[in-house]
Amino acid sequence: MKMRKYIEVAKVNFKAQFAWRADVIFNMIFTVSKILFAYLLWRMVFSGKEVVSGFTFHSMLSYYIVSSFLSQLEMSAGISSEIFQRIRNGTFSKYMIIPVSMEGYFVAMEAGIVLFYLAFDLIAALLWVFIFQIEFAFVTDVFILLSALCLILLGLFFMVQLSYYLGILTLKYQGIDTFLMIKNNLMALITGTIVPLALFPESVVRIMKALPFYYVTYLPSMLLIGRCQEEALAGIVIMVCWCLVLQVVIRLTWAKYSRKYDGVGI
Amino acid sequence: MNDLGKNLRKNYRVLKELMKIRFHNLTVFRLDFFAPFFVDGSLFLVQLLVFRAVYANVDTVGSWKGGEMIIYIGTFSLLNAVSMTICFFGLIGIPGKILSGEMDLYLSKPVSPLFRLTFEKMNPGSVPLVLMSLCIIVYGIKAGGISIGWQNGCAYIFWLAVMAILYYNMEVLIRSVSFYVLSNARLAQLEEACLDLCMKLPGIAFYGIFKVIFYCLLPYGLMATLPVQSLIGEMTWKLAAWGIAVVLTFSLLTCLVWTRGLKRYNSASS
Repeated sequence: MKMRKYIEVAKVNFKAQFAWRADVIFNMIFTVSKILFAYLLWRMVFSGKEVVSGFTFHSMLSYYIVSSFLSQLEMSAGISSEIFQRIRNGTFSKYMIIPVSMEGYFVAMEAGIVLFYLAFDLIAALLWVFIFQIEFAFVTDVFILLSALCLILLGLFFMVQLSYYLGILTLKYQGIDTFLMIKNNLMALITGTIVPLALFPESVVRIMKALPFYYVTYLPSMLLIGRCQEEALAGIVIMVCWCLVLQVVIRLTWAKYSRKYDGVGI
Repeated sequence: MNDLGKNLRKNYRVLKELMKIRFHNLTVFRLDFFAPFFVDGSLFLVQLLVFRAVYANVDTVGSWKGGEMIIYIGTFSLLNAVSMTICFFGLIGIPGKILSGEMDLYLSKPVSPLFRLTFEKMNPGSVPLVLMSLCIIVYGIKAGGISIGWQNGCAYIFWLAVMAILYYNMEVLIRSVSFYVLSNARLAQLEEACLDLCMKLPGIAFYGIFKVIFYCLLPYGLMATLPVQSLIGEMTWKLAAWGIAVVLTFSLLTCLVWTRGLKRYNSASS
């Protein structure tokens, strides 16, 4: 019964995307800029070298195809902006009065949107593989494939949690828009969507492994192209721990600051 | 000649007034003052870290070593910072003003609408970004062991100024399209994608159809590449002539699209 409410929220948000058909198409087309960047940059690099940090030219491009697909799916940044805007203009009450958990609502909303974009992003990825004539490297081991899928779901869930958490921080800090923009810039680097984290020095990678962002895009992408397979299980465990920790932090933050909301805007 | 002098004096007085009003506004919203610096600063720092990671694994990318790439990032950052300081926040509002009919207000004032839009939202909070960009360039010059003489130094400054004009032209041109269409959201998206690509990738990476696109149709690929090439001695007469031709063509095109757009403008019903 409880689940049905969230499924309805996901369905509504899935259907709502049909209203923005042009956006979907253009978002799909503009994913090419990431692939084009990778193609042109690494074409130059690989013109004088066969292997860079364990990547061949085609495995590098395969990595970018997968990581670009995953980063396109991750659209939770809108959650923090939505919460921030609504708290600022006093309309956040909309979410407080609905008979579902607020965080659950945003998770269901994200699920509906991700499901809608899934097919389009997959088509875009296949299109770029075909256009750039990439010898696509893909994992064949079913266990690793399932582990990667598990990590992708955990990563998406963690990012929703993070966006929700940053959104509710508006209750304390009032203006978080600058911080959100800086976060978006940094996120592209630390999730490995601009360059694979394997290119960074070993000490930096070790630090990254302790943080959740390593497991959001980078590790699933590496697993899907058939690398870092020994890290799959540890990755899942670490990610589950991070999700639990963040859930506790969210609860505590909400309990502390929710009473600051007065519904009249800032 | 006398008219030109009069015009310049008038524009100077308007500019002074606009600056005064802008400073007053910024003191009201103090928290937003340095926001562009932090946002764009983090963006270019990320680029630096990315290329540091790349160069930790390879010696050269194309013909460029690490130093040249750092100068490239600094140069693009500088072009962006100059635009943010002077005109970006004013120009970004053009489509909205056309759509809402607010452009009427600009047309009824005794000063060029584009002049006012360009300078009305100057952002001194971006000045640290200019300084940061200069530091990146100096660091790149040191890291690359590039010797600076008066010839390549002047050439670099000259190309920087020329490309700042091209950057400005592109900003105005893309927003002027709003005079002709209902929404220029797609063009803004295209601009964002091109800037995002070209701030990470120097023009030397483009070839074939990509070179046609980014050196000719959407010349973002030229913007920071030509100044850097003039500094490191890779500039040829052919390339220089091409650069000047592109800037002149886009200046003319921007002028044409803007003036024709103003004639087409029918207040809120545009």
